[in-house]
Amino acid sequence: MSTLHVLSHSPFGDDRLSSCLRVIGANDALLLSGDAVYALQPGTAPFNTLNTRALNLFVLAEDVQARSIETPDWAKAIDYPAFVDLSIHHDKVNSWL
Amino acid sequence: MPKSLLIISRQAPWSGPNAREALDIVLAGGAFDLPIGLLFLDDGVFQLAAKQDAKALQQKDLSANLQALPMFGVDELFVCADSAAERGLDPNSLPLEEARTLTAPEITALIDRYDQVITL
Repeated sequence: MSTLHVLSHSPFGDDRLSSCLRVIGANDALLLSGDAVYALQPGTAPFNTLNTRALNLFVLAEDVQARSIETPDWAKAIDYPAFVDLSIHHDKVNSWL
Repeated sequence: MPKSLLIISRQAPWSGPNAREALDIVLAGGAFDLPIGLLFLDDGVFQLAAKQDAKALQQKDLSANLQALPMFGVDELFVCADSAAERGLDPNSLPLEEARTLTAPEITALIDRYDQVITL
């Protein structure tokens, strides 16, 4: 079974991202939305951690655009319809509320 | 066969409603005989600390409800070993004896095993 993990909180001063990375499985995917996209701020610890992990990593395009963050080539920027597709193609969605 | 549900509770007990709400979902699910599990992760492990007393905060004691879980048929109870160790809690001396301690790879397998997951 595969799980889509969805994060929407900033990784700075919060341990959702690190806990998620500790338990995420090989068939799982991670979607960053809202303030969670700050994890792709270059030169930061979350950025370097994500860079070294070969994850199925997605970000919501409008959220990176709004925050002036560039999507690295090891992540895929998607829109809301693609988010829906992604949810359907995994057995379940785990939103880290 | 109803879908199985894993609740991941990762907030400390007295700073907001999340810990209580996660527990309410589990108790409600247990009352309806749903296959339900509860994992304490991150600050959520603080819910299991012994000798808590929130009277001065005018909040109801969460530990009594936690002890009621097996009575509601919820015996799939898990504690993240890393979270407990990081926070100075000995997972073997927690008041909730039924809870099993899991490593990170075991938690990955646990999430995989359930049909649905709610993280609060």
